[in-house]
Amino acid sequence: MKCAPFDYVRASSVEEVVKVLAESDGDGKILAGGQSLVPVLALRMARPSVLVDVNRIPGLGAIRPSGDAVEVGALVRHSRLVEQTNHPLLAEAARWIGHTAIRARGTAGGSVAHADPSAELPVVAVGTGATATVAGPSGVRSVAAEDLFLSALVTSLDEDEMITGLRFPLPTRWGFAEFARRHGDFALVTAVVTELGGAVRITLGGVASVPQRAAHAEQVLADGGTAREAARAAADEIDPTADLHGSAPFRRAIAGEMVRRALAQAGIGQE
Amino acid sequence: MSDDGSPADAPTTGSLGRSVRRKEDQRLVTGHGHYVTDVELPRMRHVAFLRSPYGHARITGVDAAAAREAGYRVFTGEDFAHVALRAQSALPSYVETDQPVLAYEKACFAGEPVAAVVAADRYRAEDGLELVEVDYEALPATVCAWDEPTEPVHPEAPDNVLLQRTFDAGSVSDAFAAADLVVERELVTNRHAGNPMECRAGVALWDAAAGKLTFWNGTQVPHIVRNMVAELMGLPEGNVRVIAPDVGGGFGVKAVLYPEDVALCLMAREMPGIPLKWVEDRAEHLLAATHARDHRYLMKAGFSAEGRLLAVEADVTCNVGAYSVYPWTAGIEPLMAGGLLSGPYKLENYRCTVRGVATNTAPSGPYRGVARPASVFAMEAMFDHAATRLGIDPIEIRRRNVITPEDIPYKMPSRLVDDSGHYAECLDKALDALGYDVLRAEQERRRGTDEPPIGIGVALYNELTGLGRAASAGPRMPFRTGHDACTVRMNPDGRVTVISGVTSQGQGLETTMAQIVADAIGVPYEDVDVRIGDTDEALWGFGAFSSRQAVIGGGAAHNTALAVKDKVLDLAAGLIEAAVDDLRIENGEVYVVGEPKPQISVAEVARVAYLESNRLPEGIEPGLDATRFFDPIRGAFAAGAQVAAIEVDRVTGELRILKYVCVEDAGRAMHPQIVDGQIAGSIAQGLGGAMYEHLVYDEAGNLSTGTLLDYLMPTSAEIPDMVIGHVSHPAANPLGVRGVGEGGTLGPNAVLAGALHDALGIDIDTLPISPASVWKELQ
Repeated sequence: MKCAPFDYVRASSVEEVVKVLAESDGDGKILAGGQSLVPVLALRMARPSVLVDVNRIPGLGAIRPSGDAVEVGALVRHSRLVEQTNHPLLAEAARWIGHTAIRARGTAGGSVAHADPSAELPVVAVGTGATATVAGPSGVRSVAAEDLFLSALVTSLDEDEMITGLRFPLPTRWGFAEFARRHGDFALVTAVVTELGGAVRITLGGVASVPQRAAHAEQVLADGGTAREAARAAADEIDPTADLHGSAPFRRAIAGEMVRRALAQAGIGQE
Repeated sequence: MSDDGSPADAPTTGSLGRSVRRKEDQRLVTGHGHYVTDVELPRMRHVAFLRSPYGHARITGVDAAAAREAGYRVFTGEDFAHVALRAQSALPSYVETDQPVLAYEKACFAGEPVAAVVAADRYRAEDGLELVEVDYEALPATVCAWDEPTEPVHPEAPDNVLLQRTFDAGSVSDAFAAADLVVERELVTNRHAGNPMECRAGVALWDAAAGKLTFWNGTQVPHIVRNMVAELMGLPEGNVRVIAPDVGGGFGVKAVLYPEDVALCLMAREMPGIPLKWVEDRAEHLLAATHARDHRYLMKAGFSAEGRLLAVEADVTCNVGAYSVYPWTAGIEPLMAGGLLSGPYKLENYRCTVRGVATNTAPSGPYRGVARPASVFAMEAMFDHAATRLGIDPIEIRRRNVITPEDIPYKMPSRLVDDSGHYAECLDKALDALGYDVLRAEQERRRGTDEPPIGIGVALYNELTGLGRAASAGPRMPFRTGHDACTVRMNPDGRVTVISGVTSQGQGLETTMAQIVADAIGVPYEDVDVRIGDTDEALWGFGAFSSRQAVIGGGAAHNTALAVKDKVLDLAAGLIEAAVDDLRIENGEVYVVGEPKPQISVAEVARVAYLESNRLPEGIEPGLDATRFFDPIRGAFAAGAQVAAIEVDRVTGELRILKYVCVEDAGRAMHPQIVDGQIAGSIAQGLGGAMYEHLVYDEAGNLSTGTLLDYLMPTSAEIPDMVIGHVSHPAANPLGVRGVGEGGTLGPNAVLAGALHDALGIDIDTLPISPASVWKELQ
């Protein structure tokens, strides 16, 4: 379980990262916290020709309130998301990421770019309507979270692009509920409830290849339905797959229950 | 646990019975432990194994040319085809089979080593593996031991059955005919990995000039390894030195001699003077270290209307994996299951057929509690089920059947002899600590409310520990593991060096042996040092398994120390001209009966013994040392009771442990903190097995749970606080001790399944218990 040989570049600027990635012909990988990348390197499931270490790039580690949102630099570690008070939903979600050691190294930009459908931050990103700032050879662009995640571990980022920051809007009300086998495991189901500009969003992680909005459940609430009704609608509209930890019907039931709990926490749809 | 780790009635002199500071902790907790991984030698090279990606496949070609051209030293199965690991047993039904060092004709499980590459470091060695081409021709794999095999694992056993035995006592058919209730269940337990914190590891070095092999090995059984390696390599046993330095956990998986170990030693002989190191990583451990507990129990039990157990008929199938584990054989789990299934319950009519069935999965081997976590689950399920059907309280039905002190010695239907009988006492104490009546009332109050239902579960067990030659004869292997040796040397300064055959994987054996020797001679604990884990030093020890070392290694240390004490007293008597029978040693000083002041120090006696032969009395030889063996002949049963209260989330199927209690009889607890640590650790491991750990193969024989992301180990966040209590009935051995290393693992399956039955009325037939499995039962 030792990684295959690779070249290593310690980048000092985002421009350098983009340049090295472009020169690697799609064979380069960004190393940030390494909490997902290093294990797959060790298992030789990933074999990049070059690793671009972004940890020393200045200016990517800030958390800044900005109007009705909070801006998070790509290199902000999960442990800092837990500690910050500007975005309580982000703090709550980050508490559920892995264990202390993982939260101390893992980064916000890395987690979103890795696009694990069971990870917490991608669900929060979609749930809050976050946008990613992305640097590439032709400059900087903004990508909405909903457009970022294509399928499990696949994003719409080009191979020579890098997320440099994330902008998470602040919900007026929110709820977060997660179900996992053990403390710190990837979620079987994560439910994020957000109220943004008066509209309620329900977003689920772990039930599909990307974070999934529960559109029917949202409609139930918009039509004056209760949390229980919305939870049932959410359970009905998803199509989860079975794995070692539970059948599809079990995941469906758990998803409904997590939606109910998140709505209760948000104080939405309560009888 | 008690506040300072010592019971209120701790003795006022001596170190036994007190939680003295552990000898090994200074180095272990400050990062100065020295494990096989820490062995660094000049010219050292690193080894990586190429492993079969198929569960079952014919090997049609191995091409290592590219790797060799790139400068790697490569070994393949053909290189060592003359050596085979062949676990032996004289049991009539046993089918002997060979396990190759590196597979060459066919691969029998995914992860089986096929080739080995030597390189300057492990990274390069793994690069080298990618250059070795192996051609496989896939064969149908058998994964489940109770499915019909399509292609046998070994041609010698066309039905894959490597061993079958029927235990028979009384007449089950008559008893069933007379029974008021017959309970039948099919129970399946989950396959586990041992997963010690330190995986397996070895460094082998061949000294060609001396014809001597040194093997640093993270093993529980260095003398067994020496014996087997010498035999397999055709070496004089004295030319093989096995060193087990600090070892980070074992739990049974390091009590096995593995093909990787033998390969390393054989490769070292081909590369004289070059130390070869292999350190197993976690993925290899999950794939290829021994597994355990993949069993099916077809259970049938007959009861009278009053809840008396009249008969048990059982058919037990154990998945023993691809090979009969060396040297313990495929009998290790099935024979234990059949021998101990009836547990601490009185039973006259018993018929139990056990079999070990080969499959295309990793070999099964010893793992903490060997088979009993499964057999206790099966037996307790009978009582829980019968209690419900007969309308008897689940505690009461057990009381009506348990072996009592008046029944001792009690011959179990498998003819093992129970010397304990203190199960009801353990149970009473456990129920007290649990607050049984209060919880039953709360359970009642919650019925009909929205609050999560409460359930109470119970398990009683008799853990057979410290097996002497009569008790260890079960698998009829060509050796008996009933004895250990110890050497005690008093040095010229009066301090003592103990060279013991015991081994430690964290259990604190250096401490325990020092306590025993210090108290037996009468010197301070601080004056005793213990050396273990080196076959060139210790005369003999079988090592750590079957909760045997406190009983057997401890007994040897005690008897040896008494022999040295006699020598000290003989010499002292001559020096001070007193009668030897009037002398006693206390705290390193020799006293004459009736004299309040010491007459001579042990240190002065020792100095005379080595340095002042001019002062030696007539007829006394220089030196103060002794070596003795000890064998308890029989075993010492440790009684145990575990009870717990849980609450269940009806929506998610999650269970939460409200309180977990264990009461065990350790006999005389030599070091209360170590005893409690053993019990707590084994319960935690049992809970892991009951709720999280599960090795799963797909139909082709690929391991689906190949990393710790999928194979869920419990962490401290998953393990509840527990209450550990003790009863103390000394066993009939020199120290009065009973083993405590494994008993804790025996309860959790039965306790949690019983608690769920109690809370929800559901039957748990398949382990592990997961939210998904409970949820399914609730639909």
